[in-house]
Amino acid sequence: MPGLASLVLADSRFPGGGHVHSGGLEEAVARGLVTGLDDLGPFLRGRLRTAGLIAASFAAAAAVLAPTRPGPTPATREPQRAPDARSDSGLPPDRWAELDGELDARTPSPAQRDASRAQGRGTLRAVRAAWPSPVLDALVAVHPRPHHPLLAGAVIGLAGDGPAEAARCIGYLAVSGPASAAVRLLGLDPFAVNATLVRLGDDLDDVVATAERAAHGPVADLPAPSAPVLDLMAQTHARQHGEHVRLFVS
Amino acid sequence: MTDGHGHGHLVSFDPTETEPDPHTPAAGRRAVRIGIGGPVGSGKTTLVAALARTLGGPGAGDTVRLAVVTNDIYTTEDADFLRRAGVLDPDRVEAVQTGCCPHTAIRDDITANLDAIETLEERFGDLDLVLVESGGDNLTAVFSRGLVDRQIFVVDVAGGDKVPRKGGPGVTTADLLVINKTDLAPLVGADLDVMRSDAARMRGELPVIAQSLVEDPGAADVGAWVRAQIAAVDAPVG
Amino acid sequence: MRARASLTVERDPDGRSSVRELRSQSPLALVPRRGTAAGRDPAVTVHLVGSASTPLAGDDVELDVRVGPGADLVLTGVAAAVALPGTDRPSRLTVRVDVGEGASLQYLPEPTVITARADHRTLLSATMGPGARLRCRDVLVAGRSGERAGRYAGTTRVCDGSRVLLVQTQELGDAVLQGSPAHLAGRRVLGTEFLVWDADPQVASAGDWWSLTPLAHRGSLATAVGPDAVSTRRDLDAALLAHPGWAAHAVGG
Repeated sequence: MPGLASLVLADSRFPGGGHVHSGGLEEAVARGLVTGLDDLGPFLRGRLRTAGLIAASFAAAAAVLAPTRPGPTPATREPQRAPDARSDSGLPPDRWAELDGELDARTPSPAQRDASRAQGRGTLRAVRAAWPSPVLDALVAVHPRPHHPLLAGAVIGLAGDGPAEAARCIGYLAVSGPASAAVRLLGLDPFAVNATLVRLGDDLDDVVATAERAAHGPVADLPAPSAPVLDLMAQTHARQHGEHVRLFVS
Repeated sequence: MTDGHGHGHLVSFDPTETEPDPHTPAAGRRAVRIGIGGPVGSGKTTLVAALARTLGGPGAGDTVRLAVVTNDIYTTEDADFLRRAGVLDPDRVEAVQTGCCPHTAIRDDITANLDAIETLEERFGDLDLVLVESGGDNLTAVFSRGLVDRQIFVVDVAGGDKVPRKGGPGVTTADLLVINKTDLAPLVGADLDVMRSDAARMRGELPVIAQSLVEDPGAADVGAWVRAQIAAVDAPVG
Repeated sequence: MRARASLTVERDPDGRSSVRELRSQSPLALVPRRGTAAGRDPAVTVHLVGSASTPLAGDDVELDVRVGPGADLVLTGVAAAVALPGTDRPSRLTVRVDVGEGASLQYLPEPTVITARADHRTLLSATMGPGARLRCRDVLVAGRSGERAGRYAGTTRVCDGSRVLLVQTQELGDAVLQGSPAHLAGRRVLGTEFLVWDADPQVASAGDWWSLTPLAHRGSLATAVGPDAVSTRRDLDAALLAHPGWAAHAVGG
């Protein structure tokens, strides 16, 4: 069952600045690689299984690292979480630095690093108000613009939801944002786009399972699937900002 | 309307709330933020250029150190326009991509605009004023009070003299309503008196300025109003 | 077939680099370049030769390369590796490189062709000392002409001291991924080139189907996807021209 934190973070009305990012879709549309529903599905599926898997895995790892909610709340929602539950706050920041560095190393495109940190920074404004915690401060101490998956995963972990929930939320966001951008950029039928998104359910389940498994292992072993064309497009999108109209930041 | 802004922890995204975002980086008094909204083609960008000329250059009163965030579809032509206006260094303009949702970016999710303002504040340090120009939108678009301290809504006579009567939050609640392009009124058959009286009826005590940037390229009246706001708004410590 | 090969290159007192240890094991042979040209070059060049048709399924090949402080090594392949099916076990190639302080390594294997029923896994793990330079080119071809690709997964992990610079897994042979506009957009060849070579690029450069991007901490990555190996390598070369450190090296010889 998703907890409130992951519902709030996955809500398109969450005020974290997500609506100005298309996850590479605007550039794919500009290049004619995505022209309608037929190629939107493969775009989203490819994105979910690469960039989405990385983001979901790091969110899950952050949810494991972040302390669970202190107090008498029994840790019953996620039985497998219990051995990893940490009730003490103030974790050494080097664990967050390690996650931050490993995620940087899996994001060779500076435009994508910027997009991830911009969304993290935007999300930070909202989550600090809603879930204040020294754990978030530790994450921000590593970098003032934390990567979005780390921040979101930490929040979901703090709220008492487990790594699987963090992976599901962030994996979903990896495709829901581009799907919404497709409606806006191509004027696609929103019901059909929504159905396309829902058809990714099995892929999302796979991503969640892989991410959750990896989240309990060494950080260095977290998945690192490359999405070469997404990387290329992120850079050309950024370059186009100076020359042509782009409606999304990324 | 920025009275009583405190340093509480909660950020409200309710546009009727009055607290600005508390995470502004500047220590001391930060720049006053004024939003400029209104329908497409009503003359927002031209007004920004006029204000930059009037406030940023030598003239009546002290020079205002200002920067601009634009939510309009922003291309090198727009930058060229402001550069040619001769008053605004392109470095002082930050463009925000709104993901095709201009009203969302100024009202429901102001993150991208706050980031742009902070970028300008970090780049220039001491700023007196940041103008936030919305993308052209309809009559319901207003700025969140979490984003700006004051807002100007711009309509023009060419849009029809019924616009003030139609109301909508922009017309009724903006701190200043500007009726633009008054020189066109005889050409488009718009009755300025009707617009003024409708505006007064819809807005109560809130001010209305009718202007023509053809006749007054410096937007002197709006400029004076903006100066008054800079003096009056107690922009909070970040 | 299981093979362990290793190579150690060190810097001599006269400033030239020389091979100190070289152990080949079939199917992987290491052949130092000889002749007068090699004699004039202060760097050592060693060719990687697949002495049988490698890799075959079930092969497990490991190569350890150590470049001592201040030494320079160029490690090249001479023929395209074709990953072929054999038994039901995947073929594996593990390359570990350690580039010492002030040393340099160019690791330039020929393209790997992933044939239809191949199942090939690779790991390239590199560690770099202070001031070390490293260039690793990797070109993957999804199947021979007109052929679908088999399975491939290759991970690269590069560390600079205790900092991780790049972690990336390339996958081929998944029709969904390969056709996705997010992954290979239906193109057949994927080329990447990792570079830590003096000055990093300050900003990214990109063409239609290539990019050169500065990594977060140090180094840069060139990426190209193309319809064939020749044009993909040409795009990688174009990307490298935008690299200030490499361009200076290439011009200066």
